Amino acid sequence: MAKSEPRLSSRTPEAEQPDRWEAQLRKGAVEMAALASLWQGRLYGLEIIRYLETHSQLALAEGTIYPVLNRLKAEGLLTSEWVEAEAGHPRKYYSMTDAGRDRLRGMAEAWTSFAAGLSRLLEPVLNEKEKAQ
Amino acid sequence: MTTDMQMESYLKVLRQHLAPLTLNEREEIVMEIAAHVRDSAEQSGASVEAVLARLGPAEALAAQYRDGLLISRASRSLSPLLLLRATLRVSSKGIAGIVVFFVGLFGYAMGGGLVVTALLKPILPANTGLWILDGHVVSSGVLFPPPALPAHEVLGMSYILIALVLGSLTLLATTWAIRSFLRLSHGLDAQLKRLG
Repeated sequence: MAKSEPRLSSRTPEAEQPDRWEAQLRKGAVEMAALASLWQGRLYGLEIIRYLETHSQLALAEGTIYPVLNRLKAEGLLTSEWVEAEAGHPRKYYSMTDAGRDRLRGMAEAWTSFAAGLSRLLEPVLNEKEKAQ
Repeated sequence: MTTDMQMESYLKVLRQHLAPLTLNEREEIVMEIAAHVRDSAEQSGASVEAVLARLGPAEALAAQYRDGLLISRASRSLSPLLLLRATLRVSSKGIAGIVVFFVGLFGYAMGGGLVVTALLKPILPANTGLWILDGHVVSSGVLFPPPALPAHEVLGMSYILIALVLGSLTLLATTWAIRSFLRLSHGLDAQLKRLG
C-alpha cells in the first residue's frame, strides 16, 4: 500500500515529523550536553543522566549516554577513573581534559550564535501566537 | 529468573557483541554498565528488569559502542584497511558511503599502483614508463612487451620521481577524503541511529 501510493501515504509520516524532529534535535546535542555536565567537576554516568534531566530537561534513554562518553574519551576530550564507592562497587567517574574544555568552549560559541540567529528568525511566528492569545 | 541471572545474561550478550573491541575496553564497558544497573535500580527503586529494559537490547547497546569507536578511530587513522572498513560500516546506511568506499578503493589502487611502478622502473627500465606516439599517450605503467616502435618512452628515469610524487599525492588525497567523509557522516549517522 504505502509503496504504491507514496503521495497519499506521506501524510502519516508528516504528522509524526515534529516529534521526530525534536527527538533528533535533542539527541544531536547529546555530546555537547555530556561535556557541559562535566564542566564543574567529575561525575559518573548515572549522575550525568540525572544532571541533564534536572538542569536541561534533556531526558535521554539511559543507554544513549554511555557509548557517547566512551567515544568522547577515545577522542581525548574526557578522562575516566574508577572510584571505590560506599555502594560496594566501583564507579567510573569522568572528567574533562583541556582538549575537552577547548572543544566545549567552541561548541558553546557556535551554539549560542546559531540559537540567537534562529530566535530572531522565529520572532514573528511567536509574536503572532501571543496576539492570538 | 533471579535478578542476578537477568543481569548476568544481559552482560553476557553485551560482552559477546563487543567482541571486536580489546579485552580491556570490553571489560570496562561491562563493569560500567553493571554499576549503572545496580545504582539505577537502588536509586530509583525500580527493578533490575525495568532498568535493563530502559537500557534497551544488549545487542543495540553494543552496536552503538562499536560504531562510535570504529568511526572515531578511523577518522584519525592512516590505515587504508581501517578507513575502508569504517566506510563500509557507514555504507550499510546510505548510498554516499558506498560511493566513497569505491572511490577510496580506486584511489588506493591507483596511488599504490603508481608507487609500485616507480619502484619497478630501476629493475625493468625497458618495460616501465610513459609511451607516446604522435603527441598522444599510448600507454603507461609496466608492460610486457613494451609498446613497439614508433611509440617511444619519453620520461626515462625521471619516471621514478614523477610516479612516486603522483602516487603519494593520490594516496594522501584518498586518505584525507575518506577521513573527512567519516567525520562529516559520523555526527549525522549517530543522530539518525539513536532515533531508532
